[in-house]
Amino acid sequence: MDVLTATLNPALDREIVVENFTINDFHRVKNPSYSKMDPGGKGINVSVILSGIGVRNVAMGFLGGYIGKVVEEKLRTMSDLITTNFLYVEEETRENIAIVDPIMDTITEINSSGPLIKPDDLRMFLRRFDVALSRVRHVVVSGSVPRGIENDIYSVICRKTIEAGKFSFVEAIGPTFENAVDAGLVTVSRPDLRSRKILFGQTLVELRDYVDVAKYMISRGSRLSVLSYAIEGDVIATRDGVWLFRAKSHIEKSHLLGTGDAFMAGMVHSIINDERDFFQAARKGMAAAIAEAGFISKELITPKDIEDNLESFEIHRLE
Amino acid sequence: MKVREAMIRDVSAIFEDETIEDFIVSCLRQNKSGLPVVDDEFKVVGFLSESDVIRSALPSYFSLLQSASFIPDTHQFVLRLEKIKNDKVSLHMIKRVTCVKLDDTVIYAADLLIKNNLKILPVVDEERRLIGIVNRIFLIHAATQGKIDR
Repeated sequence: MDVLTATLNPALDREIVVENFTINDFHRVKNPSYSKMDPGGKGINVSVILSGIGVRNVAMGFLGGYIGKVVEEKLRTMSDLITTNFLYVEEETRENIAIVDPIMDTITEINSSGPLIKPDDLRMFLRRFDVALSRVRHVVVSGSVPRGIENDIYSVICRKTIEAGKFSFVEAIGPTFENAVDAGLVTVSRPDLRSRKILFGQTLVELRDYVDVAKYMISRGSRLSVLSYAIEGDVIATRDGVWLFRAKSHIEKSHLLGTGDAFMAGMVHSIINDERDFFQAARKGMAAAIAEAGFISKELITPKDIEDNLESFEIHRLE
Repeated sequence: MKVREAMIRDVSAIFEDETIEDFIVSCLRQNKSGLPVVDDEFKVVGFLSESDVIRSALPSYFSLLQSASFIPDTHQFVLRLEKIKNDKVSLHMIKRVTCVKLDDTVIYAADLLIKNNLKILPVVDEERRLIGIVNRIFLIHAATQGKIDR
């Protein structure tokens, strides 16, 4: 097993494609394939994409109730390369609803908050995490933190990972992400800037702000930091410098679904093959994200898709 | 057909030093009737099912009886259950567990399930670490689809 993904707050992703979507109006879904139900949550999404590019992984986290069972069953039937090891909690797993409008180029997302995690649940999860950790090389921990869990949870998970001599890949936002980065526990840090662009007390407006924060994360111990900049760009920092990656062609906003998770999966895939080349990992991540953006919904990209897109973006050295 | 093609790649398990109450809650939430028991290296060291818990909570002479109607007081069962709920899983689990490996045939797994009256078989690697399970309904389904070769 190469990778462990931890999704503390998984979801059942429901994606509905509605042309000319407006609020306070009646809409009909034109095509049955325009209404889909998939296992979701950022870590699970990475698991699914990793399985598509041939990486065996174990998906862990908390699930609950009927929706939790649906998430687990669907996830397991997607690929033989995914092993599930979820801890079940008392309350129901959440649903994420995304309304995609390809005509107006919009995505409207409604995410519910998820179950309450009790101390006994967390204790049992961490016990299982410890054992699973000994069987993998890399850990991806992504997404929101459910109710009942303290803000130090990412630090706890990443400390175990780093102390075991393994790499931690984290995509999240807020104090739990910042605490883990500040403590030098995140190998590859990718803030999730979809909902707000405030990081380490700084509001990200100009390119300079992104560069400063990317460098700050490297100064705290990350080997690679990646910040999504505008729709088509990413600011990349390693110990060797800072770069701006920019897609050569326009990417529709409605095609952005899953691109962040593809970016993460592309980086993990690259690091599995070469644990020292973090710049190359960023290139593979960007290529994976652009490949994913070629699909309107979450689709499985292949290793060839990644290779084919390595020249689909420009690389500008900033520092 | 090999076990690797028929298994469920889920490694939900209970640790040998977790409690009977942990086991009951886990089964209830996952709608399962039993779980593989593992040690800290994730090696399968036992299996615990709801039947094992019920057996542990009944008087020792119960196995000699033909019917539960001979139990003088069901309240006794509840009291004994209360007593064992904080016991470690290892005290009540079945220790000699039959497991299968990835390259075993499905007909072999089916044979074990039927002859030993089991619902689930753990699938383990060469070091006996849990990597999944096979269950009866999947094997029955595979048989009805003509996927089980002799």
